[in-house]
Amino acid sequence: MDLRYTDEQEAFRAEVRAWLRAHVPKERLPTVGTREGFDAHRAWEQELGRAGYGALHWPVEYGGRGADVVMTAIFEEEYAIIEGPPRITVLGRNLMGPTLMVHGTPEQKDRWLSRILSADDIWSQGFSEPDAGSDLAGLKTRAVRDGEDFIVDGQKIWTSYGTFSDWIFALVRTDPEAPRHAGITFLAIDMRSPGVEARPLVQVDGRAGFAEVFFTDVRVPATQVIGEVNRGWDVAMATLGFERDAPSAPAGRFERDVAELGSIARALGRDSDAGVRDTIGSLYAQALAYRWHTMRTLTRLARGERIGPEGSVTKVLWSELERDTFAAGRELLGPYGEVLSDEAPQTDPLRWHSKYWFSRAATIYAGTSEIQRNIIAERVLGLPRK
Amino acid sequence: MDFDFSPEQLAVRDLARELFEKESPPSRLRELWSGAERDRSVWKALGQAGLLEITDPVDLVLVLEEAGRAALPEPIAETLAIAAPVLAEAGSDWVPRVASGEAIVAVQLGGAPFVVDAGDADLLLLERDGELHALPHDAFTATPVQSDDKARRLYAVNAHTGSETRIAGDAGVALDRGAAAVAAVLNGISMRMLEMTLEHVKTREQFGKPVGSFQAVKHKLASAHVRVESARAAAWYAAFAIGAGLPDRSLAASVAKVVAAEAEAIANAEALQCHGGIGFTWEHDLHMWMKRGKALEASFGTAAEHRARVAAHVLSEQADA
Ligand SMILES: Cc1cc2nc3c(=O)[nH]c(=O)nc-3n(C[C@H](O)[C@H](O)[C@H](O)COP(=O)(O)OP(=O)(O)OC[C@H]3O[C@@H](n4cnc5c(N)ncnc54)[C@H](O)[C@@H]3O)c2cc1C
Repeated sequence: MDLRYTDEQEAFRAEVRAWLRAHVPKERLPTVGTREGFDAHRAWEQELGRAGYGALHWPVEYGGRGADVVMTAIFEEEYAIIEGPPRITVLGRNLMGPTLMVHGTPEQKDRWLSRILSADDIWSQGFSEPDAGSDLAGLKTRAVRDGEDFIVDGQKIWTSYGTFSDWIFALVRTDPEAPRHAGITFLAIDMRSPGVEARPLVQVDGRAGFAEVFFTDVRVPATQVIGEVNRGWDVAMATLGFERDAPSAPAGRFERDVAELGSIARALGRDSDAGVRDTIGSLYAQALAYRWHTMRTLTRLARGERIGPEGSVTKVLWSELERDTFAAGRELLGPYGEVLSDEAPQTDPLRWHSKYWFSRAATIYAGTSEIQRNIIAERVLGLPRK
Repeated sequence: MDFDFSPEQLAVRDLARELFEKESPPSRLRELWSGAERDRSVWKALGQAGLLEITDPVDLVLVLEEAGRAALPEPIAETLAIAAPVLAEAGSDWVPRVASGEAIVAVQLGGAPFVVDAGDADLLLLERDGELHALPHDAFTATPVQSDDKARRLYAVNAHTGSETRIAGDAGVALDRGAAAVAAVLNGISMRMLEMTLEHVKTREQFGKPVGSFQAVKHKLASAHVRVESARAAAWYAAFAIGAGLPDRSLAASVAKVVAAEAEAIANAEALQCHGGIGFTWEHDLHMWMKRGKALEASFGTAAEHRARVAAHVLSEQADA
């Protein structure tokens, strides 16, 4: 056991920190819910890519830097601490790219990987549907073979970055007669195809973050099937495995957020309040414990081990820590919590407001806490399914 | 960065687990609960197995987890994790006697009103006015105090300290070591309570199926598991930080104690809840772990005291910034 970072890792952290300080836009970029905002975010991602920070963890043969999990985590942590703009490339970079590397044909890899890296293609994830969220295999969007193409009809929902993305990887039902998991295909769909319509959905925090995506007689070449027809469930499980293996919330971010609770307490003159201090002490302790928990995970990943269902432990930890931290902030703010203008004591009331409300989604997206607990109970603790 | 234990460290853990199961099974705990006299046989067995020679906090942390899993009624955290390094740093001639298992050390820090195992101790390490003192057996008196956990022998201590009993060392560092060590023991207690509960809910049937198949039950145990796993990482980190003398060792020790006590409180509550009525009987073993857990929550600083230390760190760091 040696929990210190190597000199090389420390040097990398210093390099990243210096670069981010010099380049992260000082003014917050306009929201991704507008065309202008989306393009501004794309331009930022392209700048990151040119500097070699696009997809550190991708193998060199695919244009990445071949960085190990620890270096990647260092980058993510520095990015989170400085609060860089939201990464609209996240679904392509972390889910579609790695899925293609495993399940894609040589042509598919050639066609898409480098464009993911350069942020020329922004991907979204079309898994959830109005009637299929937690129960993903209940999806109904249909794809019917027609010569060299599939014709897709149906609807996806809660599609992050879906309004302006270029491509979507979607699960579609190709065999309605087969058992639920056996009739699903994993399909890459060009969002500019005729018959695709993305309607922004306004989130609770007031921003148009995600979309509903409608498919009406959308023609998709069969060459865009990833893996085999009717075997899309296996591909999707690999994709979700990538989502689960990566410690999805970088440590460091929570320490910063709890420290900000401290400055709000100070601004309100409540920093000597024993109750406030008790809450801050508990949350900060949990934030550091989360950091050390993720170091344990990183050690395993660095050795090439998979995390498997234990990844759900990490998801529950970070999503509930996020929820609890911002809940404490809202309570601390009291009547200032509802104020969006500059009368509030926090340095940036709008930002705090939006982060509070977004924290309320953390226990829903990427698999709800209930689903994570089912996974932990059944697959980690071995409790009976029925 | 490598956050894992070596095969040797895991082998020592396995050795400790086997030994504790053999020397200190629940039946032995029950004898102590019924007033059986303590003897040195268990301590001797630990010594013969080489466990009392462990000086590195990381080597020790898994042994402490095992001590918790077994609810071991021996002052292993006090003697090995706290006293041994203090005595070694002070250059005391007690060091070889501790390592050989000849000497048991009781520890009183942070104004704790009672001292565990003081009556059986050959040496008492105590803090007075922020200074450390070491007193051999005949220099203090220990009066037994009735306690909730009957296998945890508590004493009120009467000791005269003076310049002749003083030893070099930092009482704050000793308290950090105590908090970090007790955190590891607490995690072992939590693990054992969850293991017992998992076994129970897999076999206990109601409504024609194992109660462990009910989601309400699953979620309670999953929640406890999540918190215990992060608490273990925190205790391991604290052990590493103390061993390596890192600047954040004091913070890490408080964090470890906070999250271990919080996780244990959850595991303690859910273990009883999921056992139902049987868990509330004296006959069932669970209560021996529940009581040890509750006692240790308050040992070497309550969770609230350590939360206050962590908060002071957060708030003062900002003042400096
Ligand atoms: C901000 C945000 C971004 C998202 N981005 C994307 C995206 O980019 N792509 C995408 O495909 N999806 C996305 N989602 C969708 C997300 O994955 C789903 O919302 C989530 O899986 C839950 O599904 P649901 O909303 O249908 O809720 P439901 O499945 O209807 O769940 C409702 C409630 O029932 C509980 N529940 C359901 N089943 C069980 C069970 N078996 N046991 C116990 N409780 C259960 C749930 O935990 C929840 O509390 C996003 C969601 C949000 C909020």
